[in-house]
Formats: sequence, structure tokens, C-alpha cells
Amino acid sequence: MSWIVKNLWLIPALPVLAAGLSALAPQRCRKFSAGLAIGSMIGAFLLSLCAFANVLGHHGHGEEARQVFNVTWFQFAEGSAGALQLGWIVDPLTTVMLVMVTFVGTLIFIYSVGYMAHDQNFTRFFTFLALFAGGMLGVVIANSLLLLFISWEIVGLTSYLLIGFWYHKPTAAAAAKKAFITTRIGDVAFLLGMVWLYSQTGTLLFYTEEGTGCMQQAALTKLVAQTTGVGMAVSTAIGLLIFFGAVGKSGQVPLHVWLPDAMEGPTPVSALIHAATMVAAGVFLVARVYPLMSVVPEGSTATPVALQVVTWIGAITAIFAASIAVAQNDIKRILAYSTVSQLGYMMMGLGVGGVAVAMFHLITHAFFKALLFMGAGSVIHGCHEEQDIRRMGGVKKYMPITFITYAIGMLALAGFPVLFSGFWSKDEILHAAHGWPVSHVPFYLGIAGALLTAFYMTRQVVLVFFGSYRGGHDHNHSRSVSKSHGKKAESSHSASEPHESPLVMTAPLMILAAFAILLGFIGTPTWPWFQTFLGTHHEGGGFTKDVVSLMIISSAIVFAGLGLGWWFYGRKPIAKADQPDVLETLRPDIYKVLENKYWIDELYEKSVIAFNAWFAKVCDFLDTWIWSGLVHLVSYVVIGFSWVNRVIDEYVVNLGFDQGCKRISLGGGFFSRLQDGRIQGYLRAIGIALVLLVIWLIWGGSGS
Amino acid sequence: MSYLELLKLALPETILVATAFFILVADRSTGGLDRRLRFRIGGLIASVGCALAAGWIAVTPAHANVMNGLLVIDPLTRLVKAGILILTILTVLLSSDSDFTEHVGEYMALILFAAVGMMFLVSAEDILMIFVSLELTSLSLYILTAFNKRNIKSAEAALKYFLFGGMAAAFTLFGLSLVYGLSGSTNLHQIAAALAGKGLDPLLVVAVVMTIVGFGFKVAAVPFHLWAPDAYEGAPAPSAAFIASGSKVASFFIFAKLLMIGFAGVEGSGAWRSFVSGWIPTVAVIAGASMILGNLAAIVQGSVRRLLAYSAIAHAGYALLGIAANNEDGVASLLYYVLTYGLTTVGAFGVIAVVENRTGGDTMSHFAGLSRRAPLISFCMFVFLLSLAGIPPLAGFFGKFYLFAAAVKGGENLGLLWLVILAIATSAVSLYYYLKVLKQIYVAAPETNEPVQVPILQQIVLGLIAAAVVILGCVPAVVVDALKTAIQAAGH
Repeated sequence: MSWIVKNLWLIPALPVLAAGLSALAPQRCRKFSAGLAIGSMIGAFLLSLCAFANVLGHHGHGEEARQVFNVTWFQFAEGSAGALQLGWIVDPLTTVMLVMVTFVGTLIFIYSVGYMAHDQNFTRFFTFLALFAGGMLGVVIANSLLLLFISWEIVGLTSYLLIGFWYHKPTAAAAAKKAFITTRIGDVAFLLGMVWLYSQTGTLLFYTEEGTGCMQQAALTKLVAQTTGVGMAVSTAIGLLIFFGAVGKSGQVPLHVWLPDAMEGPTPVSALIHAATMVAAGVFLVARVYPLMSVVPEGSTATPVALQVVTWIGAITAIFAASIAVAQNDIKRILAYSTVSQLGYMMMGLGVGGVAVAMFHLITHAFFKALLFMGAGSVIHGCHEEQDIRRMGGVKKYMPITFITYAIGMLALAGFPVLFSGFWSKDEILHAAHGWPVSHVPFYLGIAGALLTAFYMTRQVVLVFFGSYRGGHDHNHSRSVSKSHGKKAESSHSASEPHESPLVMTAPLMILAAFAILLGFIGTPTWPWFQTFLGTHHEGGGFTKDVVSLMIISSAIVFAGLGLGWWFYGRKPIAKADQPDVLETLRPDIYKVLENKYWIDELYEKSVIAFNAWFAKVCDFLDTWIWSGLVHLVSYVVIGFSWVNRVIDEYVVNLGFDQGCKRISLGGGFFSRLQDGRIQGYLRAIGIALVLLVIWLIWGGSGS
Repeated sequence: MSYLELLKLALPETILVATAFFILVADRSTGGLDRRLRFRIGGLIASVGCALAAGWIAVTPAHANVMNGLLVIDPLTRLVKAGILILTILTVLLSSDSDFTEHVGEYMALILFAAVGMMFLVSAEDILMIFVSLELTSLSLYILTAFNKRNIKSAEAALKYFLFGGMAAAFTLFGLSLVYGLSGSTNLHQIAAALAGKGLDPLLVVAVVMTIVGFGFKVAAVPFHLWAPDAYEGAPAPSAAFIASGSKVASFFIFAKLLMIGFAGVEGSGAWRSFVSGWIPTVAVIAGASMILGNLAAIVQGSVRRLLAYSAIAHAGYALLGIAANNEDGVASLLYYVLTYGLTTVGAFGVIAVVENRTGGDTMSHFAGLSRRAPLISFCMFVFLLSLAGIPPLAGFFGKFYLFAAAVKGGENLGLLWLVILAIATSAVSLYYYLKVLKQIYVAAPETNEPVQVPILQQIVLGLIAAAVVILGCVPAVVVDALKTAIQAAGH
């Protein structure tokens, strides 16, 4: 076992350590804490590369690419069954994620230095950021569902902290709570699934060298053979519970509501880190427990129920979120819905095509989505904290680098053919969906989603970068002032004009842009290196007729979306910010539905939250009148009892005690008067004592 | 057994005797110097001698028995002897601030002679040897009590102590002679063997009680305690400290040994309402009386020394519980208790000596506001008195706890529970008078705010003792484990 496998824990430990150190550092040690966080991420990145190289080496030799290292955390009973083991794993899935997370993370950290430069809580921000990265990396390396869950919860906590970073803003505080509670609903299911899995298999390790892990054949065969009360296989039920945890974290329908609100939250950087990395954790989780999801009884060829659910949820999310994104005006919110939609694609990819397909999209998406978020951040930064795309426009000429990189990211997301990575990875998913035996509906939903994606991204880019700048003079400052709290006020002479961001922000953009293009080529149908690396058999025999025709269809769809977007928004750019949207004038009814996100939030407000509030009221009523009455009753009884006690104490016991004390003192005086100083008396005492003792002993001895 | 070998076995005692003679000679040649300086020199030499003796004890063979019990060496006696030597060293170091006598050399030598007596006492398993050692110790202590010739109280105390001690010794000798007459042997084991199965005839009862009288006097248990308040009050502070510490340790040890080994067949039972006559009920009654009388009489004392004397009587009562328990835990807890008690008392008398030397007396009012005038020794006194009262985490707490636990286990069917309950109740009373002293030290306003000059050596020694009291209370296992292994190795 090589050095890196044994010491893989260092990868999450480094950022956690950095977080701990900068948590202790005083507020003014800004450089220290940023340097520490970035340094730890670079260290983690280098270690990840080592792990990656290690797996590549094994892969190249055709060996088993999975290596695990398990340690006993604590022993709560005798024997191996009573040992709670944690461990980490080195396999293609982990290493790919590791490299992605550490690399993107490093860039995000560097970018944050510029973005957060004026924030007075800079140090705290980097503490959270580093802790977040540590939690995320813990999720990735975990070879135990428990370790994964622990890290998962760290991620949840830091996500709460980062979304609510500007906690003095009510929207941010509310968004943080919403994110925390919503994901927690998923986590409850996850925890239940975990406990169930443990009770069935007696272990939470995914893989062991002896083959006793819960993702290995023996355990899976056992799980699939049992059925629950409703006729579902236990493996399916557990898989669905765990999947529900992923639904919460990855913002899938119906728990997607927190993710856009988290964008409403104050820091674009934290929004970004959520979008690019954290939400991917859900997809990663499903990929990790994929064996559990996909297991079928021996001899059966049916598609497992769990995967069907995953597919449907993913497909619905993909189209659903994409349609909402069409009618949003907040630049980050659009990206947030786009993220939800893309995560839906990944889930769908998991359902229809397996781990490799989904992971490919996850990786490419992470890069171009990070690029888009950073670009959006840069635009927001340059436009003086403006987030409404209607108040932008023409930014292209002020921020050329941002524009070019953003355009690359947008084309990748839209799936512009051949050149951009998003095309290849999305095509993989669509191809797999096309061949799905159960139903073709997910495929059509995916196609429709792709159309919408191209459309809303075009809309966004056109509104932001083309036309003329609409922020300027009629700039409504009330919004930007509230946004820029904690930042040094920009000097007033440049307040009207957007400006290009500093190099520390644009450099990561350029690097990511390069990857947004290049990454696609590691997974093309002619050279499906990525897919084979992830260990699934891939039939991709180059550009077959089937593949090519599908590509042509999806290209056509993308072009249609782009063209439609340009037709609507690019032809005659809107001149004023408060002008109604083209779509709004065209179909106000549909636009209204989309703008209000299908009223899902309102639905929850009316149903779940209303029920919760009602339930809380009931509880309050019970508390005030019934339980409290009981408590008061008890307390009055106690008070009465203590009153009686006091009376007894004061008039019976104390009186007795005082007299007792007096008597003790008198006794002391008596005894000390015995000591009269006359030696004759003393000597007589010896004699008397002797005689008395002897008499007593003899009398007692004969008496007994 | 050659004399050379005997010398080797008795070398610790021999070293002490040699040191004593050396001090006598050395003090002659330093006659012109300041008394305090001479005390310091003498104390230093005596300490070195004691340390050498203690060092030799560490390298002597673990087991030896000279002439059928005249000098018995086993791990337990070595441990107790080491404890006595440590207490002796602390006593002489704390005496180095005194100036009550011209005869420094004689004073130091007598302390060492007393220590020699105690060491032989500890080693003896033969009643004759026990008596001789007891007398060596007692006679030295009588003289030490009288040493402050300028103080009439010192002389009075010594005379009372001597007369009382002489009478007690006479009883003991009479009792031991009866024992010899009944058993035909002077060795404790052989006495036990001879007495076994004979039952308790009146003559044996008289013998046992008479023997107990002598040791009851040594440990100051009621009703043989009457000398103690006067001696504690009148004797020079180091003498009083030594009487209360080293002498107690040796006496309790040999008392337990004599009763548990020599009178093994006639222990009787001290259980409540079903007692069987023997030495256990006698000891139990004496213990109960000591606890009651000691604690109650201490309440009304105005002199801190007399207060400590009555408290010593009460503590003797507690310690007797360990003997009444009559088991291995009893011995271990007894030794832990008397060793830590000795340590604490030496410290307390050290503080008293300083206060007397600087303020001229030992009544409560002399201690008023001491914390503002000498914070360090005040804090040490705080630790000592709370330890005596048995407040956790100090050594006194664990000592009491362990003793009471041993006593509860000792009698069948919790037979000694009545005594333990009595002990707990009276020790609650005892907190009152200890706090009275502490109240004077910490709360009462001092007459002057002038700092009390405490010699640096005194500060160091008192600080070390206080630290030891705290540490022994926190980790009693160190000493208890050593005692238990030693007891098992000694085979009692």
C-alpha cells in the first residue's frame, strides 16, 4: 500500500487545520489567514495529484484500481462487530473528485482574496472557507458512510455559516436558515438510511479488502434478497433514503428551494462554492452508493426502482429549473437555477447511464459553472454590487476579459457543439437517456431542458454584455448600498461606469475558461478515456451513426435555443431597465408562472410552513395551558410542601439544633473543666479507667 | 549471627546515634555563636544524619529477624521507619528558628535518640524490646518537653507528662509481665500461639487492658489523654510537633502490631449490641470516647496549641478505628492516616512556632489577621487545618475516608458502623473549631499590618509540607499502594 493511500486523510486535514489556525488568529491577520487557506488548498491539491497519479498507475497496469485504508475509530463492544471503523478510499471516482475540488477550490480561494478584499471579517471568511473545503474533501475521501455523513454535516454547517456570512442582512440570515433546514430534511432521510444500512449489514464501510463492506457483493446480495413491508427490496428502500439526502444537498425537486435563496445571500463567492462543489456532493453521494442503487436480484434484468426514481427526479428537475431560469433577473439566481437544472442532468445521467456519465458532466460542469459564477461575481463587482441584469448592459466594452471568459462558460453550459466541454458531457447523458429501456420521456425532457438552457443563457449574456449600459445615472442606490455593507465605498467618480476586475480575480477566470474548453476532450466518443478510467464498460465505438445523429439533433437544439434568445433579446436591446421582458409581453401568463418559480415557495409557505406554524401554535397552546398548568400545579404543591417544611425547620429542627449546639458547647466546657491541671486527678483517672474497662470486659464476656 | 551483621541491620539506628554524638561534640565547639545559628547548624547535621539513615534503610535487606523478634526488618517496618525519619527531618528543620535554649546540641541529640527509640519500637516483635524502646522514646520526649527551662509551663508540662507516662508505663509493664506469665514467651507470635484457644480469663483481661493503657497513653486516647493538652501547650513547639507526629506514628504502628499479632486470639467483637469482650471492643470504646471528648473539648479552647492537642485526641480516636477494623485495609488506612496526620501536624506546629516567635503567643488573637501579615504561611495553615478537618481534596479527607471504609468492612455485618457514624458526626463538629482558627487568620483584623518576617527555610519547608498534603490527597494511591504491597510482603 503506497504512502498516499495511508496518508490520504491529510487532504481534508490540511484545510481543517488551516481553518483551526485562522480561527484562532486575530481579526487583523488577513494575509496570514488567506495565505494559510490557499496554502493548505494547494497542499491538498498536490496530494490529490499524487493520489491521482497513484490510481493512474494502477489503472495503467490493469490492476484493481480501488485501495482502501480502514482504521478502528472506537470499540464499543468486543470483537470486530463492535468496532466502529472509519476509512478512506483511493479509487478513480475519489481521485477525480479530489483533483476537481482542490483545483477549483484553490482558484476560488485566490479569487476570494480579491472579492472579499474590503470586508472587515476577511479572516472569518477564510476560516469558514477552509473548513468548508475540509468537509467537502472529507466527503470525497470517505470509505465509510459514517465518515461521509460527518463530513457532509460539516459541509452543511459551513454552508449555513457562509450563506449567512453577512448575517446583519435579514435576507442573508433567512437564506442561511432556509438552506440549513431544507438540507436537514434530506439529511434526516440520509441518517435513517444509514442506520438501516448499519442494522442490516453491520458495517458502514463501503469497501474492505476482505469483501465485507456494505457496497460489496455479499452485503448487496443480502440486502436485495430482503423485502420491506411494502414489497420493495431493502436495498431499494435504503438507496432511496440516502438519495433523499442527496436531493436536499443537490437542490433537486422538491428540496430545491434553498439553493436560489442561497444565491440571494450575500457573498457571490460562497454562492459559487456551493454551486460548484457542495451541490455536487449529492451527485457524488449517489455515485458512491451506486452499487446499492443499481443492485438487482440475480437473474433479473429490470432497471432497479431506485435508479428509476433518480432518473425521474433528475429529469424533472432539469426541465423545471431551466424553465424558471428563463424568467429570472438576478444574475446569480439565473446561474443558481441553471445549477439546479444541471444537477438534474447529472442525476438523470446517474439513473440512465451510470457513474461515469454523470461524473463526466459533474466535472465539466464544475469548471464552467465555477467560471460563470466567478464571471458573474466579477460583473457584479465591476457594476458596483448590481445584480439585476436589467440594470446592466454593454458591459462587454468595460470588462473584456470577463466577457470573453464568461462567453466561453456560457457556451459550454449551453452545450455549443464540438468545441466546448459541456457539449460532450451533456451529449453523453442524452445519449444514455435515449437508450434507456424504461421510458423515453426523460430524454425528451432533457432535450427540452437543453433548449431552455441555451435560451436563458443567451438572454443573460445579451442583457448583461450587449446593448448599452443601463445602470449609470438613474442608478438606484438603495439596493447597492445594502449590498456593499462592510465594503469600502467605491470612490464616487467611477461610480457610474463599470470597471474591469483586478488580476487576482480575472486570472482564475482565464484558467477556468481554458479548462471549460479542454476538458471535453477526455471523454469524447472516439476516446472515452474518462469513462473507462472510472471503470465502467463503455461501448462507445467512436462516432457511430446513432451517436452522430443524436449529436446533430442536440446541436440543432442548442442552435435553436441560441437563435431564439438572440431573436428575442439581441435584435433590439432593451433601452431602459424597467422595460418589460420580451417574453412577458408575448405571454404574460406563462412568464408570471416562471417568474414566481411555479409558486413552489408559496406552496410550501401555505402547506408545510403553515402546518408547521399551526403545529407550533398547538404546541404552544398545549405548553401554555396544559403542560404549564401541570408544572404550575406541581410547583404549587412543592411550594406548599416547602412552606410546611420551613415551619418544621424553624420551629422544630432549628430550635432543637440550636439547643443541641448549646449543649455541645456546654459539653466542651464540661470536658475541658475535667482538665483541672491536678496530676493526682489524672493518675486517678488511669486507675479508674482500668478498673472500669476490666469490669466491663469481664462482665460483658460472661454475659455473652 | 555475628555482631557485624547485627550492626549492619541496625545501621540506620546506629547512624542516628552517631549523628547525635557528633552534634553534641560539634555544638560544644560552636558555643560562642548565636543560638539560632547553632540551631540551624545542628538541624542541618541532624537532617543529614536522618537522610543517611533513610538511605541506608533503602539498601538494607528486605527481610531479617534478629534473635526471635528483637529486631525485625520487613518492607513494612522499613516504610514506617522512613516515614518517621522524614517527620524527624521536618521537625529539626522547623526547629531551626528557635532560641529557647542554650543547649542546642543536647536538644538535637535528644530528638535523634527519641527517633532511635521509635525506630527500634517499630522493628520490635518482642514485648521486652517493645517496652525498652518505648521507654527510650518516652524518656527522651519527657526531657524534650521540659527543654524550655525559662518557661515554667514547660517544666510543669514535662512533670505531668513524666508522672503520667511513668504510671502508664508501670501499668504496661505489669500487663506485659502478666502476658508473659500466661503465655511463657515474649515473642508476639508465640504469645498468640500460646493464648490461642484458652479463652478470655479475667487475668488475661487485666493483662490486655493494662497493656492497652500504656499505648493509650502514648497515642493520647481518652481516658489516658490527660497529659496531652498540658504537654502540647507547655512544650517547645518542635518538641510538641515531634510528640504529635513521629511518636504517634511509631506508637500506633506497634499498638496495632501488638494487638493484631500478639492478641490475635482474643480480639472479641465490637459490633453494636452484640459485642464479645476482647481487645476490639476496648479499643472501640476508647476510640469513641476520644472522638467525642477530643472534638467537644477542642471547641472551647482559646489556645491554638491546646486546640491542636484536643484535636489530636480526636484524631487518635479516628485512627483507632483502623485498629478496631483488624484487617489489612485497617492497617494500611491507619498508617496512611497517621503518616499524613503527622505531616500535617508538624506543619501546623511549624506555623505556630513562627507565630509564637514573632507575636509572642499562641492564643487565637495572636493569629488575628495573619493572612495580611504573612500570606504564605497563612495559606499553609489553611491547608493544614482543612486537611485535619478532612476537606477534599486534601490528604486528611482521603485518610478519614479510607479509615472509615476499612472500619465499615472490618466488623462482620457492618458491626462497626455505629463507630463510623459517630466518627463522621464528630468530625463534622471538628470543622467548627478549625474554621474558628481560620476565621481569625483570614477574617479578623490584625493589630498591626506590619508583615511577619518568616525565615526562608521555614517558608520552604512549610510550603513543601502543604504541597505534600495536597498531592497526597489528590493521588493517595501512591502511598496506599506502597503500604499495601509492604503489608502483604510483611505477611501480617
